Amino acid sequence: MLVLSRQRDESIMIGDNIVVTIVDIRGDKVRLGINAPAEIPVHRQEVYEAIQRENQRAARLEPGDTQGISRLAGRGNDGPARPPEPPRR
Amino acid sequence: MRVNTTRFGRIDVDAADVLHFPSGLPGLEDCREWALLADSDNDALGWLQSVSRGDVALAVVSPRRFVPDYQVRIPRSELAPLALDDMRQAQVVVVVGTSGTALTLNLKAPIVINLEARTGRQVVASGDLPLRHELSTKRQPLKQSA
Repeated sequence: MLVLSRQRDESIMIGDNIVVTIVDIRGDKVRLGINAPAEIPVHRQEVYEAIQRENQRAARLEPGDTQGISRLAGRGNDGPARPPEPPRR
Repeated sequence: MRVNTTRFGRIDVDAADVLHFPSGLPGLEDCREWALLADSDNDALGWLQSVSRGDVALAVVSPRRFVPDYQVRIPRSELAPLALDDMRQAQVVVVVGTSGTALTLNLKAPIVINLEARTGRQVVASGDLPLRHELSTKRQPLKQSA
């Protein structure tokens, strides 16, 4: 792993178009600013890992486990879910 | 194409019906082609069946049938790879899991499908949403009038 020392307000560049800036350092907490193209998702690693684990667990579900799920469904809103809201940021 | 599945036996999937997930799904990165199957016993349920791995399938539902006030905000960066011209082309489903005692819905990471292009992606929604939203088996009590 490449290890670089940076001070507050200094940045590193990853490739041509990703800039990570140290915005603030307080105690054991570092605030990072990330500037990346819109098509590059940025996640907190623990969130992404939790989704990985949840998918692997969910992939073990069998049809017998989901019996009766329709009884828990509401009536209206059948068919495709409404599309997500457009991004606000 | 023919897929030998562990849950549904041998199924035939029309190539035109295959959904392409260019990034796979988190934790299932090698599964990039999926077929959406209806569940014969549950009209509210579908199964996203991996085309390459017969043992991998995810139970999925339309979230609003179970969580009517589900509001999902998805960062632009998450949707960009789907190249949705019109949000009406998008279908949103969530993955069914289990907490051990109850069925759960992954509201934090819905799957968005571009129906036109037959592409899909599991996205990370903004805000504080649960990975395991438990579905209550109890009927909601009727509101009592004063």
